[in-house]
Amino acid sequence: MINIQDMRDTARDLLTKNEVRAVIGYRRSSSGMNAEPVVITTPEQADELVWDPTCFHNLSLYLVEDRKFLAHTRNNPGRPIAIVAKGCDARAIVVLMQEHYFKREEVYIIGMSCEGSGVLVERKLAANGIQATNASFDGDDYVFTTAQGEKRLPAREIMADRCLECRIPYPREHNVVLGEDKTGRELAEPFAALKRFEERDAGERWIFWERQFDRCIRCFACRSVCPMCYCEECVVDSISFPVNAQTTAEEKANRVRWIERSAVRSENITYHLTRAMHLAGRCIDCNECERVCPVNIPLRLLNNKMEREAREQFGYEPGASIGAPALVASFLDNDPEKFIR
Amino acid sequence: MSEQQAEVTTDYEPRIVAFLCKWCSSAGSDLAGVSRIQYPSNATPITVPCSGSVSPMYILSALNKGADGVLVSGCHIGDCHYIEGNFLARRKIHLVKELLGFVGVEPDRFRMSWVSAAEGAKYSQVIKDFVEDLRPLGPQKKLKADRS
Ligand code: SF4
Ligand code: SF4
Ligand code: SF4
Repeated sequence: MINIQDMRDTARDLLTKNEVRAVIGYRRSSSGMNAEPVVITTPEQADELVWDPTCFHNLSLYLVEDRKFLAHTRNNPGRPIAIVAKGCDARAIVVLMQEHYFKREEVYIIGMSCEGSGVLVERKLAANGIQATNASFDGDDYVFTTAQGEKRLPAREIMADRCLECRIPYPREHNVVLGEDKTGRELAEPFAALKRFEERDAGERWIFWERQFDRCIRCFACRSVCPMCYCEECVVDSISFPVNAQTTAEEKANRVRWIERSAVRSENITYHLTRAMHLAGRCIDCNECERVCPVNIPLRLLNNKMEREAREQFGYEPGASIGAPALVASFLDNDPEKFIR
Repeated sequence: MSEQQAEVTTDYEPRIVAFLCKWCSSAGSDLAGVSRIQYPSNATPITVPCSGSVSPMYILSALNKGADGVLVSGCHIGDCHYIEGNFLARRKIHLVKELLGFVGVEPDRFRMSWVSAAEGAKYSQVIKDFVEDLRPLGPQKKLKADRS
């Protein structure tokens, strides 16, 4: 069990000694049960930090935001920025470093082990009829504060699927880490939903996805929340290519439009398949994309498909090592090729 | 000509977009041409520097723009002009193929082959087979842009 005070002390200490310029963490939100991301810059703010089963946000997104901001302001802060990171978040940070988005010494990782737990899913909680104002860990249980007093539920009943299936609920890459390494504690078989889905035949699979992609409203929340979707210009925003006084009419006319922006099925599916490809070997299954989707598109299925393919066919594990090459920028002599004629 | 006419059984002619690497497969298709090998004219060849340069976006875009089938063809393993481009292609294309199948696109709509500059006959066979496999599937509508 992690003592929240240890995390606060760590953050306070780092800020007091001026070792970091800020700490990205979680705080209690002004309303409701869920934690929310916060960036603190003074030692006094350390007591605001919280750690509970609603810390689902992948904060590495804010490292990306920070980097973009520094690049725009041409600022060199000198000191690193600290971040509270779960196992999956730490893997996201490793992927970003693999891609040279920032250097190891530019981040200070306060690792948080999920131990026997993980984050909860609000939908599963609602299905249990609980309306809580506060949630916390207690060994194997989640404890909720409700209007009717304290309620307990076994963690595995309302835990996110990815946490149940998590193979490494521990941030291997860290500067300091709180909690024990419980690697190998899988509470459910990995890729279970994917396996079930793949039992359907191709026709049924298409009908399923057709219905899903018909619904997507192209709000791009999935892209905005994803730490790996950091491109300054996304291939699906063909209108975002810079136009200046020197851009000729010819150039404008010949601009490639890979995908239309209209939210129709064909364009939606092209967007999502492109995104799945661009995330292959990079997505670390934080499942933030699926969580924020306003129309419940099951994006995890797509990401899981790519993840399992990379793992089974190419022995590739995303976010495992900073020095490892990217999935699609490397190969093995015996990569499968039966499909090639 | 007679051979081609015999193949026309319905009004439907599959349209194939073929991404051919400049060094091998494109030269292979040229050889098929100069050797006067007869094969269906369903494929629109697009020469690319290397099979490794074929972005998944090209493939998805071709399907989006109405291709019934997409072919990616490059040098045999070991023969890549850029040493390892086709190794990279093999991995990337495998993922694209899996992904397309996963969402329920017929596996026969997407194909990869190795065709060297000397394999004009093989190129023509790849196209013949592809056309034959595509014919029963009918027009590709799943990923085709919906402009209605
Ligand atoms: S996926 Fe694993 S590391 Fe991430 S929150 Fe869940 S249990 Fe923790
Ligand atoms: S999948 Fe969901 S979050 Fe992503 S663009 Fe579509 S509606 Fe928005
Ligand atoms: S694609 Fe989704 S699950 Fe994967 S890293 Fe991005 S937000 Fe997380």
